[in-house]
Amino acid sequence: MDPPSAAMLVEITARTLVVCLTALAISLAVGLPIGIALGRRHFRGRVAAVSLINTGMGAPPVVVGLIVYLALQRNGPFGALSWLYSLEAMVLAQVVIALPLVVGITLAAVGSLDEDWELQVRTLGVPKRWRLWLLVREIRLGLLAAVITALGGILSEVGAVMAVGGNLDGETRVLTTAILMHTQMGQLEDALALGAILLGLMLMLAGLLTVVQQSGRS
Amino acid sequence: MTRLRFLYLLIAVALAVFACSDRAEEEEGDLLLVTTTSVRDTGLLGALLTVFEEQTGIRAQVIAVGSGAALRMGRDGNADVLLTHAPEGEQKLVASGAAVSRTPIMENYFVIAGPPEDPAGVRNASSPADAIRRIADSNAPFASRGDDSGTHRREVALFKEAGLDPDARWSSFLSSGTGMGQTLEIAGEKRAYVLSDIGTFLAFRERIELESLSKPAPSLRNVYSVLRVNPDWLDPERAESAKQFEAFMLALETQRMIADFGRERFGRPLFQPLHL
Repeated sequence: MDPPSAAMLVEITARTLVVCLTALAISLAVGLPIGIALGRRHFRGRVAAVSLINTGMGAPPVVVGLIVYLALQRNGPFGALSWLYSLEAMVLAQVVIALPLVVGITLAAVGSLDEDWELQVRTLGVPKRWRLWLLVREIRLGLLAAVITALGGILSEVGAVMAVGGNLDGETRVLTTAILMHTQMGQLEDALALGAILLGLMLMLAGLLTVVQQSGRS
Repeated sequence: MTRLRFLYLLIAVALAVFACSDRAEEEEGDLLLVTTTSVRDTGLLGALLTVFEEQTGIRAQVIAVGSGAALRMGRDGNADVLLTHAPEGEQKLVASGAAVSRTPIMENYFVIAGPPEDPAGVRNASSPADAIRRIADSNAPFASRGDDSGTHRREVALFKEAGLDPDARWSSFLSSGTGMGQTLEIAGEKRAYVLSDIGTFLAFRERIELESLSKPAPSLRNVYSVLRVNPDWLDPERAESAKQFEAFMLALETQRMIADFGRERFGRPLFQPLHL
């Protein structure tokens, strides 16, 4: 087995980014509205919903992988999709991991707002359609924390993408599964090289978001 | 009073730490056995090691990896004894001096498994190499281990025998880079052909709904050997334990156990002992 070539490294890295960023985008699109709604509205069953989210935030990714695997396998409830061992399955598993993180942190950010904030905004006579925009502006630092946490969670995760992606060469192999594979094959130098790329990627993305966060603060 | 209580607490913590460190030492084991996943996953090794410990009092710590990684661990001195199935690599390890002996213990056959409909006509193949050629020619999906394990090395050998480039990739060729179990799962899901050791295949057969399509042939023979790592590299006690393990695997009683293993669960033995 040859060591990974430069072209292969680029391919694996690009695939990792595509999968993670797609999962992140879906998680944000779905999770932000849910988080804001859960944070502002009080309804029956809210406590149950929030507990569920908190549980999801601590769900072991490998268990998420197992459940998604069972759902997608040929004889499973969603077997007809033929998604197992594809990028779709990996995105799905990562969304299940990231969504509770996005909802939970958004919820916490909304909850940390001054109790009178809503009242103040109303008193100032801000039209309803602007209130949401103001709210998002107000909690933007919390939202960035949600993005960083979710991205870190799925970018470094290996158990779930291994279970539902299968680490197929040229199809579903991402940085974490490739690192695990090379480690198990005793090719520690290759594993280390891939690990360095993953760390660099995380550093770059986290750095970028932190810069945005800090500039938003001033 | 508070001070006394604090003292008790301190003693309790110290005791707990001692107890833990003691246990940690115990769990380290007396023999580091590096083996392939097939021997562990079929349950054979667990059954044998229980008897080995009863007889000798030696506790073996087992690490199961692909044969390529196992041989490398032997080469680097990160193992006391190996149980692998990659003859060429094993011979190289002995030639290099990293291992002092290679003792064949048992054998079985690799199988080429695939969907029962058999679109590539593997059932009618004249030889395993012909079967591989038929799969490649009909562009049928094939799930490769791709992880430098003993099974993957055999795949490569069969590809060469079939006159194919071992790096040949047809469009539905899959390389999983994972263990036998997951590769079989992938093959089942993608309705692909796959080369597997018979033991792991039988353990997964019902789940994945694939059938064994090949007949036993010399090029599918799969021999498992014990390799003792150079004793000069080891602590004398461990070197002695490794020797005892080798002797245990050759003993008549152990060989009988190997011959019987799997009859109950799979209706047939998974390994044939070589010294019975």
